[in-house]
Amino acid sequence: MSFFAKIIEKISPIYPQAKRWLYSFHGGVFPQYRKELSSRQPIRDTIIPERLIMPLQQQVGQPAELLVKVGEKVKKNQLIARSSKDAKKALVVPIHAPTSGVIQEIASYTLPHPSGLEDIAIIIKPDHQNDCLDNFLKVSGEAPNTPQQLKDVLLNAGIVGMGGAGFPTYAKIPNEQGKIHTLMINGAECEPFITCDDLLMQTEAEAIIQGALITAKALGSTKVLCGIESNKPTAIKAMNKAAKGTIVEIIQVQTVYPMGAQKQLTKELTGIEMPHKAHAVDIGLLMMNVATFASIYKAVTFGEPLTSRLVSVTGLGLAKPFNMRVLIGTPFEELANLAEPKSKLDYPLVMGGPMMGFAVQNNQVPVIKTTNCILANPPEPAEMQMPCIRCGECMDACPVNLLPQQMYWYSHSHEFDKVEKLNIFDCIECGCCSYVCPSHIPLVQYYRHAKSEIKEIHAEEKAVELAKQRHEFRLARIEREKQEREARIKAKKDAVKKQAASASKDTSKNKPKPSAAAAAAAAAAKVAAAKRAAGKNTLMQNTAHTENKQTAMPAARRKAIEAAKQAANQANSGDKPAKSPKEVAKNAAMAAAKKRAQAKKAAAANDTELNKSSTDNTTVKKDPKQAAKAAAMAAAKKHAQAKKAQQANSQTLDLTETTKDSTASKKEDARKAAIQAASVAAKKRRVASENKENEPKTETSTTDKKQKAMQTAKANAMKKAAERGAKKRANHQVSEQAQHNSEERN
Amino acid sequence: MLEALIIFIGLALLFGLFLGYASVRFKVEGNPVAESIDKILPQTQCGQCGYPGCKPYAEALADEEAEVNLCIPGGHEVMIQISEITGLEPKEMEVTEEAEKPKETAYINEDLCIGCVLCIKECPVDAILGATKLMHTVIQQECTGCEKCVPVCPVDCIDMKPIPLSTRNWKWPEPDETLISEAKPGKNH
Repeated sequence: MSFFAKIIEKISPIYPQAKRWLYSFHGGVFPQYRKELSSRQPIRDTIIPERLIMPLQQQVGQPAELLVKVGEKVKKNQLIARSSKDAKKALVVPIHAPTSGVIQEIASYTLPHPSGLEDIAIIIKPDHQNDCLDNFLKVSGEAPNTPQQLKDVLLNAGIVGMGGAGFPTYAKIPNEQGKIHTLMINGAECEPFITCDDLLMQTEAEAIIQGALITAKALGSTKVLCGIESNKPTAIKAMNKAAKGTIVEIIQVQTVYPMGAQKQLTKELTGIEMPHKAHAVDIGLLMMNVATFASIYKAVTFGEPLTSRLVSVTGLGLAKPFNMRVLIGTPFEELANLAEPKSKLDYPLVMGGPMMGFAVQNNQVPVIKTTNCILANPPEPAEMQMPCIRCGECMDACPVNLLPQQMYWYSHSHEFDKVEKLNIFDCIECGCCSYVCPSHIPLVQYYRHAKSEIKEIHAEEKAVELAKQRHEFRLARIEREKQEREARIKAKKDAVKKQAASASKDTSKNKPKPSAAAAAAAAAAKVAAAKRAAGKNTLMQNTAHTENKQTAMPAARRKAIEAAKQAANQANSGDKPAKSPKEVAKNAAMAAAKKRAQAKKAAAANDTELNKSSTDNTTVKKDPKQAAKAAAMAAAKKHAQAKKAQQANSQTLDLTETTKDSTASKKEDARKAAIQAASVAAKKRRVASENKENEPKTETSTTDKKQKAMQTAKANAMKKAAERGAKKRANHQVSEQAQHNSEERN
Repeated sequence: MLEALIIFIGLALLFGLFLGYASVRFKVEGNPVAESIDKILPQTQCGQCGYPGCKPYAEALADEEAEVNLCIPGGHEVMIQISEITGLEPKEMEVTEEAEKPKETAYINEDLCIGCVLCIKECPVDAILGATKLMHTVIQQECTGCEKCVPVCPVDCIDMKPIPLSTRNWKWPEPDETLISEAKPGKNH
């Protein structure tokens, strides 16, 4: 290793990229670090500013829930905003007062966020007493044994990832013990200028190692690796000293940007490359920043919530850069002024390093839990942005193996679907591509923009899908409600009808049918009532029972008519129980079958007749007539039978009325049958006359079998036609009669 | 000759049977054109096209019974997409939304609300919560901003407000490109 490194050191002045051979991930850049600016200074004492600004939103996720009122006195470590109930989902951590004082104001203040948006913040006016609630978290000082215990402490202590992303640490830790086999400590502070982790490792190595050991114990990890960049020899020494005799292994890694990125350092330490879209936890790895481990140690051992952090205040514009344990909420400008700015601070300060940091909109923004550096670099004349020359430098520098140039072109032309396909969400926004770009294209800005656009597109798609679902559900609901309403109205009507029917039953004669009426369900009763009413109608019509009409209440009458109509409908459609449609249909079918059988018989008789007549020369003329007559007779018979069958139905419905009913219907039947027979006969005659024209020749050949067969066939066909007509009529009879009657009665 | 006939009749039968089977087995429910149009429509269910929702409009388009330029929230872009799917002639939008109007949602002034439930009935996505003679409110996440509830309110207590910007929905701005356009060739020499 050392020999190889020496060779590369020799080559690097001629070919700087040779340094890339020394580490395992792709790309990377070697910027000017300028860490000496602040790392040479001792850590300065904490200052208590004039006011502390505590934004309710400290990190990703939702803002915390306010717990204090204006004018209230708070002590150091007191809870001033808590995480909401479903903290897991909302990714909220509580906020504690960094020092004692009075709540001066709760108002909107500019956030230390690239957007420069304002949000609700608690303003504490410190009383400089620094009254402290000791062991606020009420811990025993014992290391927790299960991940859940550790998570509870971390949540209550308000600890978030202090490397920069600010993801709540409790949310990062898995619930199952033993899932994490390798715990990693990130001491590779790769951003230029920033030295707070370096100094933390130098001064609080013990706390970091203990914090890591506590976490490893709770999670059941057997291996703890700590990666520190080679440009921090003092820190490596201190850490090695603290880690002696523990399971923590200190590994020196190459100084390259972005070595401190989680995926890159993981690859360097373990050789495992993180799969696309997977979290480190999924493959049994967990990495945390040194500062996070230090605060875990303090929370678990002393019950101290996270209220301060080490911050580098540095930059080319400051005469005396320094590191300081800063209270969360201290305004940037106050700290920068302590470092004796070379010129007036009329330029925006940068939160974070020069590679990934962002200029704040207002220098009064406060330090939050993720602020590791306040950078005061006087503005340089902006480099002229030039068109892309497709040199491919960005591709060589990308530590995630993406295609920055492609992504740039598509982002530039707003083809966001294509950008997404190029795995833009794997981009860690490290800024290597922008750093190496000879055309000074702010590539990362394009990717950030594209990412937010893509996120918005996806959010919109989801919203559209939701709107669609809700609209469809609404339509379904309206439909269902309509049906329910109709059903309700129907049920109501039925109930009224039932009443009316029973009333009319009472008025009309004394038909003792209480058992059926009582036993049958509402619908059945109604149908029965309707049938009865219909039957009654015919009865009244035929026998002129006027007294019935007079006695029947008008309302009852109307109901009866409606019922009759419904019954007619139901008889046609055929549903539901009692003496109703189904049975009617069955009976009708039976009747039809009977008719068919009879028709066949009749046809057979006719056949013989026809045969006979065909042999007889003289009867030839008469023959069709005879056939017609026979057919008509058969039809009439069938008809009568169908009627009878029907009558039988109504008989079952109302036994007392059958006889009269049948006589009534018989009359009508006879009439109809006559009409039918006449029509059939007419038809036959027509056919016969046609036949006659054809026949003369064959008259003489009496033994012609062909002709005979033909005639029989014709006769059969005619019979069948007659049969069909009869059947149809039979089917319609019930409804027709009912309707007819009800109309008449009306 | 005969063999050829037999072979081809056989093949015809075979394919016929196969196609018949396939048409039964892989029957497409609904109109796929309507489905694909429905997908690109903005689903505000605003009814500005004259149809009671996005789906009915999509179905009408699939049956070529509607013009392609009726979707006002979708604007020109959606019109072009529709004409691509249906193969109908693209038509200029007759009514256009005010240029680049940010997405708005309805807010009920809860002090003025009389609890008439008129807006609840009007809302196509059931995003308004309330009951008779009780104050109503809008579930912001569900509101599509169709503005259907605004005219029906008898006390005029519904306002359309743009969604407030927070760090959660803030977007990184696109890099300023004026620098590129200013970089004239030869300027650096």
